[in-house]
Amino acid sequence: MRPRRPTWRVACLVAIAALLTACATVPQNRRSHLADPMMSLTDEPLDAARRAKLYDTREGAAGGDGAAAGGGCGCQ
Amino acid sequence: MARRRAVAAAASSARAALLVAALLGPTVAPSRALADDAASSISDARILDAMGAGLHLQSVMTRVTGFDQFGHGYQAQGAPTVLGPGSERETVLEPQAEVVFTQGERWTHRVWIPVDVVTNASPDAIDVMSSASRHVEGGSLDWTSTYKASKTTDLSMRNGLHLENPFRSWDSGFAIRRSFADEATVVGVSALEVFDWFDRFEIDGSRHGHTDRNGTTGSASLTQVLTPTTVASVSYGVTVMEGTLGNTWNSVPLSSGVRGPEILPSERVRHALVGRAAQWLPWNGALRLYYRLYADDWGILAHSVEGQLMQRLAPQLYVGGYYRFHTQTGASFFTTLAPDDGTLRVADSDLAPLESHTIGGKMVVDLPLVGRIRAFHFELAVERYFRTNDLQMNIMSCASGFRF
Repeated sequence: MRPRRPTWRVACLVAIAALLTACATVPQNRRSHLADPMMSLTDEPLDAARRAKLYDTREGAAGGDGAAAGGGCGCQ
Repeated sequence: MARRRAVAAAASSARAALLVAALLGPTVAPSRALADDAASSISDARILDAMGAGLHLQSVMTRVTGFDQFGHGYQAQGAPTVLGPGSERETVLEPQAEVVFTQGERWTHRVWIPVDVVTNASPDAIDVMSSASRHVEGGSLDWTSTYKASKTTDLSMRNGLHLENPFRSWDSGFAIRRSFADEATVVGVSALEVFDWFDRFEIDGSRHGHTDRNGTTGSASLTQVLTPTTVASVSYGVTVMEGTLGNTWNSVPLSSGVRGPEILPSERVRHALVGRAAQWLPWNGALRLYYRLYADDWGILAHSVEGQLMQRLAPQLYVGGYYRFHTQTGASFFTTLAPDDGTLRVADSDLAPLESHTIGGKMVVDLPLVGRIRAFHFELAVERYFRTNDLQMNIMSCASGFRF
């Protein structure tokens, strides 16, 4: 019988390696690309709100991520 | 004595001028000039300190979104047969406005006013919504104040009120955000309490007093600058809901050949784990990735993934395209034909096993201006949303505003 490949260990190692890259702080003067609005991790607030409303009221998988769940008719 | 009175009067008028300058100076230029003249005997440093305590407009944004929805769901009445799926046709017009302003050097306020105008919802229903939801208007006022406690720490308070024809909702929350390593790492925690109070209806349309529910959400997030061109974040949140967790007018087809009301648990615990990443691309582009894992104790397990590809065409203009895929298992008690025995049951198409796709594109313009207005912002987005259980929607959204 072949031993099971420890894929979860590989995944953990990759995750740890990715996190370790954060140990070297990127100086402020090298973050010009990150300041571009295109690089924002979240949408512009009003855009994010209308998208959240769309998904929260049509998919029963809203909430849990800091946004209010419920509110308004049709929400559960 | 007269000289002392004169000195006191001068000091009093100087204090008054300082107060006027503090309250009006930064926002009303002519008044500021007058106040500056009146307080000319006060040192520049004191005047600047006083002006720093005034209000400064940061941005004014507006957005209008239109949703045009088609589809059918078993929770809706009005189908040709009693037990068949009814129409979920509706159109929604959703204007929003947002004003951000600072108060002094430490406070930032955000006032957000979203409005929903829903028309044509459940047009063929025989329930209460046959009249009420043909035209429903709802609006919210949400105020968030952020206090910069130190160079690395922000504290936020949030309060909101939502009003809708048969519905009232209040929310209140706070958040703490702290940065480390020259803002390369940002850690945040937040809590939010939502209380809903609304009319209870029977599925035949009769009103049956009021009912309520509340939801408590706690979340934590970590954002990390990984490289000069890569940033990522991960967040986890849990929401605990109690009370009436349905809208009370949804119905369920029963095996006895009639429709009955939903029977839902009175509690729900929802977990969400979210990962985000943004990567700068060498051709003046950006790739944004999103993944969300969701699970709750109603039996729903969901995965959502999204990719957004942005391309800057000019310093003031970029365009983007995006695709989102969502898949979820249904609630464990979801059914389209329930036994008439009083066990948990729901036929809401939102709680069914489903897959959904969103495909869209947007164009964003930020025109720099001269004078007090720093830039004009304009955005146009078009989307198509469709689900595997008979729901489609066309969406158009347009935003404009000014940054100061």
